[in-house]
Amino acid sequence: MAAIETKRLSKFYGAHRGIEQITLSVERGEVFGFLGPNGAGKTTLIRTLLDLLHPTSGSATVLGLDSHRDRIEIRKRIGNLAGDFSWQPKRTGSELLSLIAGLRGVTEMDYAQALAERFNADLTRPLGQLSRGNRQKIGLLQALFHRPDLLILDEPTGGLDPLMQEEFMAVVSEERERGATVFLSSHELDEVQRMCDRAGIIRDGRLVAVEDIGELMSKSDRKVSFTLAETDIDPGEFRDLDGVGNFSADGPEISFTHRGPIDPVVKLLSRHTVVELDLTHPSLEELFLAYYTGGRSTGDRPDSGDGDEAAG
Amino acid sequence: MTGSPKVPILVARGLDDRKRSLLIWIVSIGAFCAAIVAIYPSIEDTLTDVMDGYPDALKEAFAVEDLNTPGQYLHAELLGLILPLALAWFAIRAIARDLPSAAENSFLDVLLSAPVSRRQLVATSFVGTAIELAAITLAAAAITRVTAMVLGVDLSLGDSVAGMINMWPLALFFAGVSILINGLRVQSALVSGLAAGLLVLMYVVDVIGRLAPDLDFLRYGSVFRYYGMAIEDGIDPASFFGVTAVAILVALAGALLFDRRDLPG
Ligand SMILES: Nc1ncnc2c1ncn2[C@@H]1O[C@H](COP(=O)(O)OP(=O)(O)OP(=O)(O)O)[C@@H](O)[C@H]1O
Ligand SMILES: [Mg+2]
Repeated sequence: MAAIETKRLSKFYGAHRGIEQITLSVERGEVFGFLGPNGAGKTTLIRTLLDLLHPTSGSATVLGLDSHRDRIEIRKRIGNLAGDFSWQPKRTGSELLSLIAGLRGVTEMDYAQALAERFNADLTRPLGQLSRGNRQKIGLLQALFHRPDLLILDEPTGGLDPLMQEEFMAVVSEERERGATVFLSSHELDEVQRMCDRAGIIRDGRLVAVEDIGELMSKSDRKVSFTLAETDIDPGEFRDLDGVGNFSADGPEISFTHRGPIDPVVKLLSRHTVVELDLTHPSLEELFLAYYTGGRSTGDRPDSGDGDEAAG
Repeated sequence: MTGSPKVPILVARGLDDRKRSLLIWIVSIGAFCAAIVAIYPSIEDTLTDVMDGYPDALKEAFAVEDLNTPGQYLHAELLGLILPLALAWFAIRAIARDLPSAAENSFLDVLLSAPVSRRQLVATSFVGTAIELAAITLAAAAITRVTAMVLGVDLSLGDSVAGMINMWPLALFFAGVSILINGLRVQSALVSGLAAGLLVLMYVVDVIGRLAPDLDFLRYGSVFRYYGMAIEDGIDPASFFGVTAVAILVALAGALLFDRRDLPG
């Protein structure tokens, strides 16, 4: 049974498009990233799943339960961080946590305490006095502290500094190990690439792609660039290797893209004196750009999640 | 509407949030009542003359016949207009802050991520407001009675409580109206605006109905028709519980509508 399943889910705000015909399935135990530019519909999808918005058409289940009819049962089992998390400015983080704990019937606060320490969250000051990032930490705590089966997080790292983003990623991978499902939205491909098993891309309200990130990386070209100590080399021996493309050589500085087993490249390099070596995978961003702005010949046509035409 | 201890938890939190503002209301209304009682002994003898000078229509409009007793005096000065309007406004504001404003500030997104239903949020706001209204009216009754006792004004505790608590259903009715308006998709500022508009309209309709006997039937559409003068005549149970029941029904309808609408993001 999927953790989240939507069938041709649409939400219009009057005449304004929120999301359109989204068919998506998020498996139990996976970390799923939901990517898209501002206004794409990420928050709309999440708020529809939570029954804060009612769908214009289509349906959604969360943990196998109907998003509207079983909303209370769903809320028992999820943790949610709203995209624009805010709470009464005069209340402190610990007051909010004890209220939510009371409503959830949670008495065990050790994990909340541990999380607060890890995130360096100040639970004693009124939320109105906290910086945006520090307020966001309180939001994360209230979503995480009861160890829900499913985490729905709308731009969870918004406002967090890089150190805290790292901490957050560590928490997400612990949650995955525990067996929880994580559904998070983001603008940052890099973050999704590092945390998620799969990613969906939403644009103009439509789901245009769902990709397995590991697969995407492995079937993509890597970038190889290096500098050799010798100046009288023949770049041709590299150019002629299998799987090489976009070759360029500037004296001892050589770079190309490469697909396939890396071993021949390494063997050939070992016959030279290597000064500098850089081996990178393209970022998710480059991959997606290549995939969805026309460069589709580079890979298989990705599943677009639903049967609709992929825009762009 | 409850079925779990969530509503009590939320009501307790709401009361805790507002204990300050509640205290300010109790002190201000109590001070006002005490002041009105305090001037009674000095003007008591001239009141009958004053009344004789007023045109009948005016007396009719304010539902004042005579000012022979402290009860009639307090009704004219406090309970006939100013306090019911103030308490109804208090109730309207309390609902507007708990539901539409909290929704616009995204506070409700946080509560509704926990296993809480929108109906429970509505119940919380309604019950909390009812408790606060009871606290204000009972405190006002106590302060009024104590001031009367100290100054030797003839006002029993029972009459004082009856007069004050009689405002409770009326104010609660406007809490229900605010909940109903909140169930329709309107902005938070409009919720209190429209409810206050209805409050004034209902009062005006009641005055017109009293002035023009031909239009008396209009008064049945106004909650003020069922208000009376409890400080003199005692509480009329049919009106008291009838208006309370209508307030609850209106709030229930609002809760059902609220369940069906979108929450602003
Ligand atoms: N209350 C509303 N009324 C009308 N249109 C709305 C409303 N809320 C959102 N929209 C529209 O729905 C679309 C999707 O918005 P949404 O907030 O879901 O985007 P998002 O992907 O979360 O964007 P961001 O990255 O900026 O958070 C936008 O075009 C937006 O203008
Ligand atoms: Mg958003």
